[in-house]
Amino acid sequence: MIRFFSLLRGRALGCALLLLALSAHAAAPIRVGSKIDTEGALLGNMILQVLQAHDVPTQNNLSLGNTKVVRTAITSGAIDIYPEYTGNGAFFFSDEKNPDWKRAGRAYMLVRMLDFAQNRIVWLTPAPANNTWTIAVRADLANSNHLQSMSDLGHWLKRGGSFKLAASAEFIERNDALPAFERIYGFKLKQDQLLTLAGGNTAQTLRAAAQQMSGVNAAMSYGTDGQLAALGMVALRDDKGAQPVYAPAPIIRADALKQYPHIGDWLAPVFRSLDGPTLQMLNARIAVEGKDARKVAADYLKFKGFIH
Amino acid sequence: MIELDAIHKTFGDTEVLHDLSLKIETGELAVLIGPSGSGKSTTLKLLNRLLDPDRGCVRLHGEDIRRQAPEQLRRKIGYAIQSVGLFPHWTVEQNIAVVPELQKWPRTRIRERVAELLVLLDMPPAQFLHRYPHQISGGQQQRVGVARALAADPEFLLMDEPFGALDPVTRANLQDELLRIHRLLGKTIVLVTHDLDEAIRLGSRIVIMDQGRIVQQGPAREILLTPANAFVRDFVKPGEIGVRLLGLARVSERVRWSAQATGEALGLNATLREALSAFILQGVACLPVADESGRHVGALHFDDLLEIRA
Amino acid sequence: MTASPDDRRVERLLVAGMVIALLLPVITVAPNRLLSGSGIELHALLHGERLWLLFPLLWLLIAPFLPRSWPAGAAMAAIALGNGLLWLTGQEAALRTVGDDSLVRVSFGPGFWLLLLCLGLLLKHLASRMRARHAMGLVLLVSALSPALVMLWKGMLDPLSLMQEFFNVQDTLLQATREHLMLVAGSAVPAICLGAGFGFVAYKRPRLQGWVLAGFNVLQTIPSIAMFGLLIGPMAALGHWLPQSGIAGIGMAPALVALALYSLLPMTHATLAALNQVPAAARQAGRGLGMTPVQLLLRVELPLALPVFIAGIRITVVQTVGLAAVAALIGAGGFGAILFQGLAASAPDQVILGVLPIVLLTITLDSLFQLLISTLDAHHDRT
Repeated sequence: MIRFFSLLRGRALGCALLLLALSAHAAAPIRVGSKIDTEGALLGNMILQVLQAHDVPTQNNLSLGNTKVVRTAITSGAIDIYPEYTGNGAFFFSDEKNPDWKRAGRAYMLVRMLDFAQNRIVWLTPAPANNTWTIAVRADLANSNHLQSMSDLGHWLKRGGSFKLAASAEFIERNDALPAFERIYGFKLKQDQLLTLAGGNTAQTLRAAAQQMSGVNAAMSYGTDGQLAALGMVALRDDKGAQPVYAPAPIIRADALKQYPHIGDWLAPVFRSLDGPTLQMLNARIAVEGKDARKVAADYLKFKGFIH
Repeated sequence: MIELDAIHKTFGDTEVLHDLSLKIETGELAVLIGPSGSGKSTTLKLLNRLLDPDRGCVRLHGEDIRRQAPEQLRRKIGYAIQSVGLFPHWTVEQNIAVVPELQKWPRTRIRERVAELLVLLDMPPAQFLHRYPHQISGGQQQRVGVARALAADPEFLLMDEPFGALDPVTRANLQDELLRIHRLLGKTIVLVTHDLDEAIRLGSRIVIMDQGRIVQQGPAREILLTPANAFVRDFVKPGEIGVRLLGLARVSERVRWSAQATGEALGLNATLREALSAFILQGVACLPVADESGRHVGALHFDDLLEIRA
Repeated sequence: MTASPDDRRVERLLVAGMVIALLLPVITVAPNRLLSGSGIELHALLHGERLWLLFPLLWLLIAPFLPRSWPAGAAMAAIALGNGLLWLTGQEAALRTVGDDSLVRVSFGPGFWLLLLCLGLLLKHLASRMRARHAMGLVLLVSALSPALVMLWKGMLDPLSLMQEFFNVQDTLLQATREHLMLVAGSAVPAICLGAGFGFVAYKRPRLQGWVLAGFNVLQTIPSIAMFGLLIGPMAALGHWLPQSGIAGIGMAPALVALALYSLLPMTHATLAALNQVPAAARQAGRGLGMTPVQLLLRVELPLALPVFIAGIRITVVQTVGLAAVAALIGAGGFGAILFQGLAASAPDQVILGVLPIVLLTITLDSLFQLLISTLDAHHDRT
């Protein structure tokens, strides 16, 4: 009789410990991070809300910092998932010379393979948008000179058009940025055609061009910047593919994905729906109208029926 | 009671005390005096082990003071310094109660003792108990310092130029207070000063020091009349010896009882030096003498001053 | 009541400031959140029922030049004018942002801020002239802020750009407050203990003083962003070594370490100064009366060092509140996160929204410390 009870007690204890271990393991929240910019806040909030809608415990680490800070966070295990751009793979893996980064499909496959092999980070379904570096010009300038693509700009500059570009030091100096445009589109900007702004902020450069500060009429910009229309600027198409493709995609640590294997399936339709114009529109709501990124994300997800 | 035996003390390269031997009897008011650097403060600090001698020893009641812990020794010795060193964050009461607190006296006994001392030093307790040091005058602060030194009823009192920082009037008042307390309580006091007048006024025995050695010691009269060497002679300023001797005697010793005279009366208790000053000021050779209540008791003549050597 | 010549001078200076403020735009109107606005001066806005503002305005402009002065009246005028301006800007914003999807942004202009500053300083000056002690000062503060708070509560200030930005970050504000306080407290407490320790050691061994202070001085000269960068490597390594501790190269942990390092110099310096200013006579007397070194430390040196020590803590805490804003760059959150998001989005009002809580927190903590120090100092005068 006594032996029976002691056996029972032992089993009960064992079960309790197992449950505790399991629950402790299961209760670990997925830490969602993002970069400190507008689009990061938008995509990060989407990821967060989709996970919450599927009853996954989450921790909000959005707007953590710049690329280096957020990337370090995921590789050191401080966060589990955040939206990154395929093109950045060229720099994470020091592979800038590889032309594959300029092709959307190839870029995605490449970074997916490299990041899993080296860091056990999984790249989920990307969005069909390209948030790459581009040059935007004032709408009045574009209209009067029929500028729609970078090739148009190249021709116009050769004919001696009046041009002053506001850009960050990084954009002007990095080999794959302005110099790449110059090489491929056959123009060379002189020192007095450049206005260097410290930091990489397209919000500042676009604003400078919109208000014609110091005679600036063009600005460094990202493909999906929300401010373009509101500021009366037009982004020029990279028709010859000078830049790597920056498609946004959620990236997640393999261990976290193992806990909730369906995260990829939940986020895939969401990201597939985010093409360039959609992202621009959503970004504009946050940056120009000043709406809360959380609300903009929620409204979009509900509107598209991804959550209820 | 206190004996310094063949003390040597060196600071760095300088020998501050050389073969110093001194005996201080119970109930004495011994004054150590000398120019700066003579070692008088150092000697004082040897008595409560703020400093220890390099050679030689200090004995209290025949026992070497190094036998006990310095803090235990110091709590049995009163200590008052020139800058007073009252604790600014404590009231007068808390300041005076320091050593009794350290010795863990019961609360009530401490309170009584503090009040008793304030009365002794002519500071009404009701007024002063709860004041802070910054709220009382310099003279009052030093009185509190003396009270603090006396609080735990110490064996003897050490005072290091206690009145040096005060104005002459306050200084004179406090010197009188000290004499009064000494007469009342009979405590042994060792006092350091650089002021000869103070030494003559206060000391039953004066110890003159120079460059770490005792040059002469004895009652004031002896030092004034028979200086041991040229140093002492220069120290006591030959030109003022006579006047200083007058300061040692009182009118009451020379008064012609029931004699009559006209003029502003001298007090019985006044020194002959003060009498001399009065003669000169009033331009007379004879003045009446009155006691404390103002009653005429006699007269003093200028010639009476000259009998000082008798 | 007559004013002293110094009082007059101060008041006239403040009036000059107000006049300059009136020449500057009091609001700026921008077509959207991103573009700079065009300014509008006060005189262009004073029409209709707003004309009542002229009364307190003229009173304040003329009062310092009159022979007799009435500080209480001037204080009332200042309070009326400040709150009246707030009401005016709220009203104007409502007029210009009609329609649910208006993108127009109405912000406070430089004239408004300058005017508010002058009025605030004037009020502080008048309070000291009226010899307002703690209770009276509190009444003054409450009556100055109440109309503004009422307007805020009734939503009369909602159309203003600053409030619009506030609604955006509303949900994160509580978390930001928690994070910022955690950054300040979490770095200040260890720094106070360590600094007190170092300062005490330097006090007991004067030969070390030079080295210790020089070393911390070098720390102080490292720019904060560089310091964070330097910490990423070692902290990440530490995090790998202690996986469950939550330490990483970015986030709260390196921020706390960096902020604590920056606090070491003021704390050590303050501890040393506090102990050194204990009067030597008191120390001498304490020793001579028979206190052991420990008794001397606990009963005399520490209590006398306390006010200066607390003043050092005050300086350190105030420094840390401001410095903690930069911690947002490595993901530690706090009010700095709002600030830097505003910078990244080129939205000046969001930047202000990040700055205002920091300023308010600094002022609050500083005042609390001042109160603490003055109650301690009441015991003994520094004369």
